[in-house]
Amino acid sequence: MKRWIGPLAMFTICAVTAHGLTLVQAPGFIMARAMDALDARGVALHAFTAPQRITPQTQQVVRSSPDLYYALCRYDLSGPGTSLSVTMAEWPGYQSLSFFDARTDNFTTLRGTGRQIAVRLLPPGSSPQAGAIVSPSAKGVILIRRLAPDSARFAAAAKVGEGDACRVIG
Amino acid sequence: MRRAFVYLAVAAAGVALGLGSALWLAGLWPAASKMAFGNVNVGGWRSDFTTGSEAADPYTRARVARHGLLALAKTEAVYFSRTDDDAGEPLREACSYRLSGGVMPAGWWSVTLYDAKSMLPANTDDALSVDAEQMGAGAWSAIIAPERPAGGGAWISSRGAGVFDLTLRLYMPKPALLAQPDAALVSPRIERLSCEGEQ
Repeated sequence: MKRWIGPLAMFTICAVTAHGLTLVQAPGFIMARAMDALDARGVALHAFTAPQRITPQTQQVVRSSPDLYYALCRYDLSGPGTSLSVTMAEWPGYQSLSFFDARTDNFTTLRGTGRQIAVRLLPPGSSPQAGAIVSPSAKGVILIRRLAPDSARFAAAAKVGEGDACRVIG
Repeated sequence: MRRAFVYLAVAAAGVALGLGSALWLAGLWPAASKMAFGNVNVGGWRSDFTTGSEAADPYTRARVARHGLLALAKTEAVYFSRTDDDAGEPLREACSYRLSGGVMPAGWWSVTLYDAKSMLPANTDDALSVDAEQMGAGAWSAIIAPERPAGGGAWISSRGAGVFDLTLRLYMPKPALLAQPDAALVSPRIERLSCEGEQ
């Protein structure tokens, strides 16, 4: 019996470690794969990509809503002093500007129904500043949602989206 | 030599068990794991209000990353999912259902159908969801079926969906919903009307 204590301890340590590592790494792994997939499908780095209306044929992300206009901007603030200027243009209906870090956390959402929002995104470790948000990770995704449940309003949202901006300023 | 082999074997078995159990408990494996999860359950509609936030436990975080990537935090939107009808049977394309509800405690809402891979079903019916504007104020109902209902009315197409689930999105949720979901949300009902092959 005594000779099995070592193997049993080894089994337990390996199982617990693998279990924990899998859970900790899963969101980052899935987000990294999603970012690669968005890149492959033409979602730009440091620019909002004009979206197609969500249909079964155009969907890129799981559980996308066919009733919303989604504009995505991938970002990478790993270069020294790099930050972003982000603008969500004015839209009369519901719209939001949301920020997701490399571990899928939605670290900030700004609701902008009927108004324009402009904000700067700073790299991890930056000091807080007025009109700026500090990203918890160097890489992530910025997402604009606009309520546009029919093709006419989607076209109008796309027109308004020409005023959206996601550009490097540093 | 034999002892080293034993250690190697148990280490491999331990890693396999740890990996598999984590994937299973987080709903990442097998692929057909159900979406409905969470600590909030209102009439069979389930949600986890920590979705999108750092407060989510590692299982929720992993599951949301797989099935609800880029979901918003609860102050902006909450998401409820439902995988079965009012009789407890899994939702499936071979059956038709009546989905009905009332006033929702949110600025805007929608119900959307997704297949087992969390994607919109591959059809061209342009009937993937119903929403607050379409349904108007007060009581509402819609038919979920693979074919457009003969009588007209609101329709969510399940054509090509196989076994599916529904996601109820509540944007700009009222504080009462976040504080006491059981009291604030009158959950939509899902009544099975008929199934293919049944008399």
